[in-house]
Amino acid sequence: MFKKIIENSMAKSPWLFHINAGSCNGCDIELVAVLTPKYDAERLGFKLTGSPRHADIVVVTGPVTAQSKERVIRTIAQVPDPKVIVTLGSCPRSCNVFKGSYSVVGPLDNYVDIDVSIAGCAPKPEAIIDGLALAAAVLKEKRRAK
Amino acid sequence: MGLPFIKEALTQLFSKPSTANYPFVPREAPPNYRGRIVFHPELCINCNMCERVCSGGAISHSGVETEEGELITRRFFLGACTFCAHCSDFCAKNAIELSGDYHMVAREESDLVVEGTYLKKKPAPKPIPPKPAEQAKPEPVAEAKPEPKAEEAADPACAVEE
Repeated sequence: MFKKIIENSMAKSPWLFHINAGSCNGCDIELVAVLTPKYDAERLGFKLTGSPRHADIVVVTGPVTAQSKERVIRTIAQVPDPKVIVTLGSCPRSCNVFKGSYSVVGPLDNYVDIDVSIAGCAPKPEAIIDGLALAAAVLKEKRRAK
Repeated sequence: MGLPFIKEALTQLFSKPSTANYPFVPREAPPNYRGRIVFHPELCINCNMCERVCSGGAISHSGVETEEGELITRRFFLGACTFCAHCSDFCAKNAIELSGDYHMVAREESDLVVEGTYLKKKPAPKPIPPKPAEQAKPEPVAEAKPEPKAEEAADPACAVEE
């Protein structure tokens, strides 16, 4: 019974963890804008957390650079298991304009499976809210399958 | 005044919240927003300029040979797009458009692809060369042709005068 209550309450409030894998900062700013009073994703239950161990949804921005590759993989490995990986912007999906650079070893799906991708450069805050809602639905699916 | 900001506090108390009630109240993008690409394959003349100017390498094409000609599929991968609108700026026929649709959220890569297929017709059959060549080619080529002839005509004249 307690387990059920915990599961239901967890589904209503997925916690986000944000990883910057060498982003230009455009998408990071948009993600922060989603959490400001204007868009306020916290009214939908999303909460930014400081530790990957508390997170349900991992939001990755930026093409994976050679410097950040090890850290990205290690951080994502620390997230407890029913997790959803969301790529924010075009970079983690395909490296975008940084493709072919000597310091870029992406895209992200070389290393981990991407569940939801939000396209845009940078995406509009409304699109990010859409993407997070989809990520929450995917998370629910994964919890049920488990 | 004993109570500073009392007017501000009272107006804020009875004013609407500044939060946009987004998922419940849909919101349109501002005019000229560069969102999802819309491709009009019937207008495309296969000049490949969009592919050359694309900085993210989001545009590609592939062809299938058929009896009538080559069926070319142009593919725009929005996951690699910078939405810089260079492709639509350089498109001579305005076949590429960036719409105000910003809901580009996908679980699979195929949801982020915009495609269009068009037919590149084979040139007219050889045995009667002059007529179909003139018909098939558009006007600027026809205009360009007489000029070299005029120069050629002028050159011998100059030579004669000299």
